[in-house]
Amino acid sequence: MNVFEEVKKALCKANPGLEESKVVSNALLKDDLDIDSLDMVEIAMSLEDIFNITLSEDEMENITTVGDVVSVIDARLKVKSG
Amino acid sequence: MVTGYGAVTPLGLNVEDTWRNLIAGVSGVGYISLFDTTDFKVRIAAEVKDFDPVAYLDPTTARRNDRFAQFALTAGLQAIEAAGLKVDDANRYDVGVLIGSGVGGLDSLAQQLDILKTRGPTRVSPFLVPMMIADSAASQVSIKMGIMGPNFGLISACATGTDVLGVAYKMIKWGEVKAMVVGGADAAVTPVGLAGFAQAGALSRNSEPQKASRPFDMERDGFVVGEGAAVLVLENLNYAVSRGANIIAEVVGYGATSDAFHITQPLENGEAAAKAIELALADVERNEVGYINAHGTSTPLNDVSETRAIKKIFGDKAYEIPTSSIKSMLGHMMGAAGAIEAVVCCKVISEGVIPPTVNLEHPDLECDLDYVPNVARAGDVRIAISNSFGFGGHNSVIAIGRYDGQ
Repeated sequence: MNVFEEVKKALCKANPGLEESKVVSNALLKDDLDIDSLDMVEIAMSLEDIFNITLSEDEMENITTVGDVVSVIDARLKVKSG
Repeated sequence: MVTGYGAVTPLGLNVEDTWRNLIAGVSGVGYISLFDTTDFKVRIAAEVKDFDPVAYLDPTTARRNDRFAQFALTAGLQAIEAAGLKVDDANRYDVGVLIGSGVGGLDSLAQQLDILKTRGPTRVSPFLVPMMIADSAASQVSIKMGIMGPNFGLISACATGTDVLGVAYKMIKWGEVKAMVVGGADAAVTPVGLAGFAQAGALSRNSEPQKASRPFDMERDGFVVGEGAAVLVLENLNYAVSRGANIIAEVVGYGATSDAFHITQPLENGEAAAKAIELALADVERNEVGYINAHGTSTPLNDVSETRAIKKIFGDKAYEIPTSSIKSMLGHMMGAAGAIEAVVCCKVISEGVIPPTVNLEHPDLECDLDYVPNVARAGDVRIAISNSFGFGGHNSVIAIGRYDGQ
């Protein structure tokens, strides 16, 4: 499963007004994509379900860009497969 | 002063369509389409039809709001536009919002309760609370329009839509704000909402949807759940004149009392309801009242006690005042009912037409007023009153008058 694509899908679902082309790795969740803290909780829930992982609140707290979300999930998946 | 209004109702997605249907005697009641009613004793409601929130709101706002708040936002934006009210840095703090709701985001709560049970607490939506809270309707209008005066909700069950107007009227009168965006919204056509009202014995079991809501008729057997929103812009005279607003009508009085009797049953003799009418008419001549928009729910108890209350105040003259219940067509829009009824009172005054009470075929012997049976009629009305009563013993009455200019 392509992590970036899944993250993009989750972001667009949370904010249906979002233009897909804006979702790039270094885009700022809050300032560029209008994703607030409530959206982030919902996005984390849906990514947890998709990848069958659990994201901690600490991990989610330090996230500011789309790339950060992808990295956190990648790290989790690595731990899982390792 | 009333300077604008908007509405989303079972008879239209704006005031004009709703009004046209009301004076044509059209019923908005039908079989429920919003969910499967197989196991329900009651399968009818007055649903808002063909409402696509994205047609009125941006997709993100639509998604983050319960249906009742979507209705409120849509009606609120219509009202503000109709009033030509521009909100900017010059008046942000002079304008407020007060939109009430009887049950708030009931469906959002019910859906998340299911998720809580089936998938656990970590899967409950972070949007549950903002979607469920009844004040979200007012808050969303404030956020959308940049209104920075007071913004809140108010709850008095089925009297909500009248109490909001009364409170806003007083806030304007006392000079706390120059203008208020005020109304009610509800979306109670949900599985748990319908089951709850049905179990309380409040709903009609009539199998013919369009015949079910029959206020003052001998065969009435309960109300029909409706849904929707209505919002008005109220403002003080000087402010309305200074900005060149079109004044449609004016609120001339408000009265509110409590039965202090029973949580669902009205006081049989209508004593406290009569007192509310008396208070609403404290500053006007009673004999100028030319139309009564009845609460008229179509429950056996309400329609008799309301009739008694009206007679108590107007005596023999009660028989001469056209009194109709638009719930016969709109069903009971709950917290929005009083607000749409106030809009209709404004229309009656400005258009000179009185909407009928449909399905009034064999009047109850104890309901012997002129309920404008089945067909609209012309009427020159200077002052109209709208009665709203609610579970909890709320009796609220608003009086609306023609504005002649000064």
